[in-house]
Amino acid sequence: MANTFHLQIVTPDGLAFDGETESLIVKTTQGDVGILSGHADYFAAISVGRIRVKNPDGSYRKAAVNGGFLRVTKEVTRVVATSFEWADQIDLERAQRAKSGAEKALASASDPGEVELLKLRLRRANNRINVVEGK
Amino acid sequence: MAGANTKDIKRRIKSVESTMQITKAMELVASSKLRKAKERVETARPFFTMLYDTMRDAAISNRDFSSAYVAKREVKKSAFVVIAGDRGLAGGYNANVLKYATQLMEGKNALVIPIGKKVGEYFSRRGYELHTEKYHEAEGLYLEDAYDIAQMLTAMYRAGKIDEIRIVYTKFVSMLTQTPDDLKALPLNFSEELTEKPAAKETLYDPSMVEVLDVVVPQYVGGLIYGAVTESFASEQGARRTAMEAASDNADTMISDLNLKFNRARQAAITQELTEIVSGANALQ
Repeated sequence: MANTFHLQIVTPDGLAFDGETESLIVKTTQGDVGILSGHADYFAAISVGRIRVKNPDGSYRKAAVNGGFLRVTKEVTRVVATSFEWADQIDLERAQRAKSGAEKALASASDPGEVELLKLRLRRANNRINVVEGK
Repeated sequence: MAGANTKDIKRRIKSVESTMQITKAMELVASSKLRKAKERVETARPFFTMLYDTMRDAAISNRDFSSAYVAKREVKKSAFVVIAGDRGLAGGYNANVLKYATQLMEGKNALVIPIGKKVGEYFSRRGYELHTEKYHEAEGLYLEDAYDIAQMLTAMYRAGKIDEIRIVYTKFVSMLTQTPDDLKALPLNFSEELTEKPAAKETLYDPSMVEVLDVVVPQYVGGLIYGAVTESFASEQGARRTAMEAASDNADTMISDLNLKFNRARQAAITQELTEIVSGANALQ
């Protein structure tokens, strides 16, 4: 097996992942970033998107994330996610409900601050749906 | 005459008993909520310590103060996020944290962001400036709500409408002790904790430190608020449980007191009746 590194995924609901992996792909505010073992110290903000962690068998385990940051140090790589769900944990029905709810509210919202919040909500819902459907 | 007395005592026993039933029920509810709240605090804790550590590393290495969040500025207006309960009957829980907050605000131009119904009521009655009309409830405040509050606050901070953000909450020390405490959320100032000079590690900030901080700081503040709310909520349940336990105990001693009184009154009534009968019979002889 190729070189691995220690990855921790920390969420408000506890540790979602704590172990060795070969490769990690995270969508930062600048686009997808791949982390392999021996990466330089690194710090970036995560945007609403998808995270992929390589399994020992070579396939990728996918998850939806709504923000947070990525911190790489020599000892450990940490994804500190404000919300994090593995693809198989996502409640698709709930995401779809959230999506249609946000769309409906967006149609009648006028306050710019509120529109901003609703747009974010819509993005989060869409992201969850996309991760489940594997797009 | 004696009959009226025992009736009174009986009525009082009944009323204390029903009060005790309520306090017992509240104690049980608080215990079960406390258990859940404690779990929530414990699962969330590693997240907050990591959030805090990472922020500290980043803020310390931003030594040119190029980020608005790190730079020091004159404090003209302070925002206080004050977290307390939605309901009373929790011993000194609400009063303690509100008193603590009022002390901190002394001499400052304070803007209050209330979380918990009691906070809004308290500060609006005392004529403080409140930020929101609608009060957030402390129970059922989710992470996303905390982020919404943080987004709003950091936007105000960037615009210069507020110059510092502090969070006043109740720290959950143990089941029996909860102490009011405060966190300085912004500006990021960790210099007090800087006992040794930061390791001269070169970290790559993508795309730049200032931009990363701009995205991460609102999340950091949101995380702090959420963490403070979970701690406060657990504290509230702990305080309520203790208060209700004491109330149930008091009701218990009161009932046994009243029972004693009731039995004495009953006995006195019987004795009196007997004396009356006996003396009546004696009179007939």
